[in-house]
Amino acid sequence: MYNLHLSPEQLQIRDTVREFVAQEIKPLALKPERLEPRARPLLVEALDKASHIGLRTLALSEEAGGAGADNLTCCIVTEELAAGDPDIAAVLAQTSTLAHALFDRLMTQEQCARFLPAFLAEQRYHLALAEHEPDRDTALGINYHRPQGREARFATAAVRAGDTWIINGRKDRVVGASLAALFAVRASVGEDGAGTLLVPRDTSGLGITRSETSWHHGACGALTFENCGVPAENLLTAPLFADAGRAIPLDQALNLGIGRAAYEAAFDYAQLRVQGGRPIIEHQAIGAKLAEIAIRLEVARASIWQAAWASDHPDAFADRSLPDLPLTTIAAVFAPEAIYRAVKDAAECFGAMGVMRDMPLQKYVHDARICLHAGAGNSEAKLRVAEALARYRRPTGAAALAAE
Amino acid sequence: MDFTLSNEQRAWQMTARKFAEEEIRPTSLGRDEIDDPRETFDWEIIKKGSKLGFRTLAVPKEWGGHGTDFVTQALVMAELARGDSAISKTFSQCWKWSHLIAAACSEEQKRRFLQPFLEDDTFLLGKGISEPSAGSDNRLPPDDPKAGLKLRAERHGDEWILNGEKCFIANASVGKLFFIDARTDPNAPLRQGTTMFLVPRDTPGLRIGKVFNKSGWRFYQNGEMIFENARVPHANVVGAVDGSDMKTHAAGDRTGGDLFGDLELAANALGVCDDACAMALAFARTKTQGGRPLFEQQLIQLKLNRMHLLTEALRAFVMRVAWEHDHKVRSANAGLCMNYSTDVIQEVTEINLDLHVGAGIIDARADKLVRDGIIWSHLAGDSVQRMKATRRLGR
Repeated sequence: MYNLHLSPEQLQIRDTVREFVAQEIKPLALKPERLEPRARPLLVEALDKASHIGLRTLALSEEAGGAGADNLTCCIVTEELAAGDPDIAAVLAQTSTLAHALFDRLMTQEQCARFLPAFLAEQRYHLALAEHEPDRDTALGINYHRPQGREARFATAAVRAGDTWIINGRKDRVVGASLAALFAVRASVGEDGAGTLLVPRDTSGLGITRSETSWHHGACGALTFENCGVPAENLLTAPLFADAGRAIPLDQALNLGIGRAAYEAAFDYAQLRVQGGRPIIEHQAIGAKLAEIAIRLEVARASIWQAAWASDHPDAFADRSLPDLPLTTIAAVFAPEAIYRAVKDAAECFGAMGVMRDMPLQKYVHDARICLHAGAGNSEAKLRVAEALARYRRPTGAAALAAE
Repeated sequence: MDFTLSNEQRAWQMTARKFAEEEIRPTSLGRDEIDDPRETFDWEIIKKGSKLGFRTLAVPKEWGGHGTDFVTQALVMAELARGDSAISKTFSQCWKWSHLIAAACSEEQKRRFLQPFLEDDTFLLGKGISEPSAGSDNRLPPDDPKAGLKLRAERHGDEWILNGEKCFIANASVGKLFFIDARTDPNAPLRQGTTMFLVPRDTPGLRIGKVFNKSGWRFYQNGEMIFENARVPHANVVGAVDGSDMKTHAAGDRTGGDLFGDLELAANALGVCDDACAMALAFARTKTQGGRPLFEQQLIQLKLNRMHLLTEALRAFVMRVAWEHDHKVRSANAGLCMNYSTDVIQEVTEINLDLHVGAGIIDARADKLVRDGIIWSHLAGDSVQRMKATRRLGR
């Protein structure tokens, strides 16, 4: 059964969030000082309002106190939010996704009892993932189709001392670092293991600095751990997320929201701006350009939604409804290129206004460029697709070391 | 076919390369990072460059300039742009209009304006065409007299009274003399009803409005000019009243092209591409992964290949157009080359950034080159500029 209908609930939530963004986020996001290409403070009040209508706990199960939204719904919401402000979209997507992973899947009842009540009670309680490290080279690069060397291990390490894990190391590009109350910190654990440690914000030995660059969405920050101790029971050993190739494509949904904001601006302007005696949308050159923008965004959306739906329905791989491909990685290659091109074209419709810092178009171009270069970039993602096509399986842990 | 440069061309190229490397490049990123668009400008670099001849390069020798040919001008623009695209453009903006003074102004006007321009290291030139509601309509004017620029000039005896507003005017906040297009016959289509005036900065009734805050080319000043009963003597009319198309006509061009302007953007793009290629190559050779230089990886080699083949193709096209201009071969090539330079500068600078970010390095200069390259979209590569070049082919 091939079915592209959204459920009444999905349609309703999309309309609600779209309206919310138009009323509460867009007017703030378009203020000139927020269009400057520098690290922007989060729009905390708008973020709080979004939390208040349930977007912070969107993916958390209903039993645990959330809305229990599926992955496709989360992508739709992220797109809508990002069309208003990508930083708010990134922070909410992360908190909501982590809440689902941690409280619904990974935590024991005892752990939930320690963290969940506060998370539910405080609308400003956000969750953050600390994974990226400034000096850790995770690029596939020369390791393409080869077992990866030791350098892929986390430099941030947790060492057991009695009933405590002592953490040392550095993390950066942590989304929402400035306001997260609980960090899920990826680290090397023991001799050759890796795990996730739950580190509350007020833990002694944890330092938090705000990033000065605007090169990542979500008001990123950096963390330092200096003999930072957490109780032994704060360690989660199960993988945080499933196979990245089939994960929820939230980054792409966020990127799509940026593309849509640019498209909507260009579409409105093309109907207002008159040159050659008629609105520029009536000229072939601009009409065709807008069509190309719409086409690129729509095809990107198809690839993102397919990946999102697939992540909700893993059985669709098993019954051969879906191809045995890393659909999320495929969307991560296709969408950023298509959207960047679309956003550049949208800016071009504005002539010189497209490069002015007090106008939104240059910001959309900058924001889409960040998505294009997220992670280790598109070539890297292509190599991961190539490995999947060849069904290459990289030996892990001890097997990888033995292979060296 | 002979691709060798003359000794004089080579000497100018080397002087420009040295100046770009030693003086321009070290200030380039710092200027780019200044937030206030009025403060990005630096008079010291202009004065130093002027003393070396980069401001007056295109003024004919008989008037005391350097009288260089188009090939030399292309070489120098590319070399300066390797240091900083916007600083190169600030110098070449003066050549653009000194070409015009030499070609279109009367002897009396040359004495009044060319002489002070030559003597003053801080004398910059500009030209005002664009207005808030007239961009594409100035480039490809429709027959409707209502379309295009609206700045009005009315004659009162020996003076013209100008009223209206210009925007996006290069060098507006730093220039001393501007060529201003104004409507002298509002009932005629743009080309038949517009006159060009020489307007000194200190003209009564002229003031400079805001300076635009661009995402790229941050050094290059770009502002509003507001005319409120600005009084310009009739002696400052360039060419004939209602005959503003002097720039191309006086230069002997009958193709409707902008002889210098088209070459200018293409040559400047070439310098930026050279910079990006050199950056990318050096990075790939020195940055390692697992102890091996990135250069050893196939995908890195393919990216470097793409950057270099596009850049070398652009160089061949730019130098050909410059040579054609020197030999008075008139064609649509300058326009096509300018359009092409948009595609090349954007792809080459994007790949350079991709190469750096892919290896975990967010390089501020790689980012700057991309932002500078985006400027080409509306100046050189939008659909109007492409159709304009095509219409020259169709003539």
